[in-house]
Amino acid sequence: MKPDRLLKWFLYGYLGLVFVFIFSPILFSIIFSFNSDRFPTIPLGGFTLKWYETIWQDPDVWEAARTSLLVSFSVATIATFLGFTTAYTDYRYRFKLKPLYLALILLPPTIPLIIMALAMLAWFAKIGLSGQVFSIIIAHTVLTAPFAMAIIRLRLSQMDESLEAAAWNLGANQWRALRRVIIPFCRPAIISSFCLTAAVSFDEFAIAWFISGLNKTIPVVILEIVTGNIDPQVNAIGSFVFLTSMTLVIIAQVVLMTKNKTEKEKHG
Amino acid sequence: MPVSGKRTQSALVETTPKRLLSHLLTFKNAVRLPIIIWQALFFIAPLMFMVAMSFFIVRNYRMTEAFEMKNWLKMMGRDYFWDSYGLTIGLATLATLVVMTVAFPAAYTLAFKVSENTRRWAVFLLIIPFFTSYLVRIFSWYVILAESGVINAMLGYIGLGPYIMLNTKFGTIVGYMTLTLPLVIILQTLSLANIDRSLVEAAHNLGCRPWRTVFRIVLPLARTGLIIAAVFCFILSFGDFVSPYYLGGSKPPTLPILIVDTVKSGQQWPRAAVVAVVMMVTLFIVAFGGIAAAYRRRVR
Amino acid sequence: MADALVEFDSVVKKFGDFTAVERMNFTIDEGEFVAIMGPSGCGKTTTLRMLAGLEQPSKGEVRMQGRVMNAVPAHERDTPLVWQSLALFPFLNARENVEFGLQMRGVDAATRRKKALDWLDRLEIGEFAERDISSLSGGQKQRVALARSLVTEPKILLLDEPLSALDANLVIRMQSMLTRLQRELGITFVYVTHSQSEAFAMADRVVIMSRGRIAQIGTPKDIYRAPDNRFVAEFVGRNNIISGKIKSSSGKSVLINGSLGDFKVSLGGRAKPSPGSEGSFVIAADLVRLSSKKPRAGNQIECSLISEEFIGSVVTLFLEARDGSEFKVQIQERELADMDLKHMGKVFVSWDPERAHYIGAD
Repeated sequence: MKPDRLLKWFLYGYLGLVFVFIFSPILFSIIFSFNSDRFPTIPLGGFTLKWYETIWQDPDVWEAARTSLLVSFSVATIATFLGFTTAYTDYRYRFKLKPLYLALILLPPTIPLIIMALAMLAWFAKIGLSGQVFSIIIAHTVLTAPFAMAIIRLRLSQMDESLEAAAWNLGANQWRALRRVIIPFCRPAIISSFCLTAAVSFDEFAIAWFISGLNKTIPVVILEIVTGNIDPQVNAIGSFVFLTSMTLVIIAQVVLMTKNKTEKEKHG
Repeated sequence: MPVSGKRTQSALVETTPKRLLSHLLTFKNAVRLPIIIWQALFFIAPLMFMVAMSFFIVRNYRMTEAFEMKNWLKMMGRDYFWDSYGLTIGLATLATLVVMTVAFPAAYTLAFKVSENTRRWAVFLLIIPFFTSYLVRIFSWYVILAESGVINAMLGYIGLGPYIMLNTKFGTIVGYMTLTLPLVIILQTLSLANIDRSLVEAAHNLGCRPWRTVFRIVLPLARTGLIIAAVFCFILSFGDFVSPYYLGGSKPPTLPILIVDTVKSGQQWPRAAVVAVVMMVTLFIVAFGGIAAAYRRRVR
Repeated sequence: MADALVEFDSVVKKFGDFTAVERMNFTIDEGEFVAIMGPSGCGKTTTLRMLAGLEQPSKGEVRMQGRVMNAVPAHERDTPLVWQSLALFPFLNARENVEFGLQMRGVDAATRRKKALDWLDRLEIGEFAERDISSLSGGQKQRVALARSLVTEPKILLLDEPLSALDANLVIRMQSMLTRLQRELGITFVYVTHSQSEAFAMADRVVIMSRGRIAQIGTPKDIYRAPDNRFVAEFVGRNNIISGKIKSSSGKSVLINGSLGDFKVSLGGRAKPSPGSEGSFVIAADLVRLSSKKPRAGNQIECSLISEEFIGSVVTLFLEARDGSEFKVQIQERELADMDLKHMGKVFVSWDPERAHYIGAD
């Protein structure tokens, strides 16, 4: 028994260290954002809000925040729509070339962002859409639709197969069954998908940096500051981005979890 | 699932455009086509165009559509390209080995040594980093790892250092780990947690020692998931330009840095496209090899 | 028939290479309670789904009130179905579930509400109208599903194993509710099940299906006492089937020679088989006499006891004949008490020729 327990505590300790490694950059970035030193180290300098004041007063940051919100909201809408139609098609239909169809939507995340960025840059230049806000929206949609599809598909696989047929049986044509039965059933997944795709888009910098032109998003602004020199403003913006993304993620998680929980409790 | 929606289409008497349109505008197509059109226009087309672009030429700072091998010959003939290629593969391989090794005990603990509830929470925590800015995390490491940064300051108290960690391969690997470690732990945990426990217990029961059980039973059973985790780790590291740039000092540049530099410093997009195509082919081979290995039937 | 509500005319249904339903012909009358029964995969659910328009026949026609229904989509039919899983909409409450069909037909909100509440009351669950589906019990959900299907006042109600998820007590109660409801409404019920007791308890007529074909159609009594063929005889349970060669036929009976001897079987209106051909007959387990002494004459088999099974007051004895074949006998428990079975080495089973039922060669 003795060596077994020792091993267990060793493993717990190890797991703790791994989590420290993963979360220390996030924590330090938040701590540094309130630290007065330009080049923070231990011991920490005094408490300050000046980095937040700096970004608060920076019109470029405001402009970028507006662009980012517009982009991520649009991306979330389109990606969730596309993810839903694809998930529903996969759920309901069998057809030749379906593996190809699924590959078409699921493949983008496996391609390095930098390659996607270059390809998008060149293609948008070719079709005359370069440097527009909606070029970023389009590119991010390609990137995030697979996540929307996965979340909604998972929800559909939890659905009683006769639910939709029951709607037809009661006189609903396919469109009404979709609107009155499938979409209400998928609502929690749709909300989650909306939040998560928005959060991913809100953080993405490589593609946005390549194709944004003058319409910079927040991550692009961060990238440009970082490239310049050491500037703790980045930590302040980063903390702001973190807060926004986490809010979205937590909303998504809570919506999914409470839905599953209530269903489980009631079924049980 | 049986499908009721399809109507038996009475033979098309006339194929007027209107009729053809109503034939195409079925419910099935309405839900199936949007993604096909979208991805064809904005996913497949860009990638195809990029491949085509690698054969274009640049004259007087203007890109002209053509079909010439010039860019390929130029890039393939340069030593620095092959140095970058070797470096990128080497770093990504190293990162994959390190991350897989570092992640395994953590995943093993999460899969076998904690309650299911704890595991769910741990996985949720591990998802959080995906939604924090990778750039900001790397910048944070930059400050932490610097010569007068947090780590060296702490080491200084016990009389060690300072060590130079920035602009080294160590820095790059730390960056890659920041990017890939959470994902790899999640994938490893899921594949380990899916193992049939009774097989592991049977091995114990038959007198197999814990270490041997891990190597003889657990690893082979979780092979598919583990290989997929490794492939993802390789792909992400291979394609990342932020870590080698900010933490690794970008000398010599990795392939992604080469793309960034080539694009940002002028109109040499076709050469960047050559690099991108080489990367894609490499990744395709790695992914294909990995998947083949993952689903290969067990040979004794 | 003049008042046939549903006609299946040479209906074939294929899924790829698999034939689910093979050349099916039968009619269902108005106001009839028909049960379609068979083992899983026999095509009974496919048949029901074709009625509802959820599947289309590959060949042949399904007609309702004379109208060919093949190309009529599900939502344009009035053939509500009570699903095995019930398929109640989890995001709507009980009343909203019942209103769904009315809403799809464009009924205004006030009427909808009134009708839904009326039906919930009628099925004795009016007090749960505003409750979430997930908070209802199995029996209550069942009633919501029934109300949802009946609220549009259809001519026909389809039921796909609706009671299979309920426990035994509740099944009996729901059965009597369904029969009462069917009689009150006077509409046609088509009830698919694999449970013999459900089908026999409720239906006016039972359709037995096997591998996509109809094995027999008849009243429960017909099917129980006069199975058409070996499949039906085996499927409906406690039957003994004995095969052999026709030795001779005289008048209304034949003499069949099997490995256990000669047996006289009355033909009961069947065509006379020619001597020398193969033939089988069925003798139901509950129509057999059991004795410790060898009967003087008549159909009889000498057996030894293998095991016994008690269900309430009825005992099923599993016997083994000389040639190793199994023979089942059902008798009252109190009759058995009179015999000292344990100490009998051998028992004899015997029956009258009129009790046996000839089923031909298959």
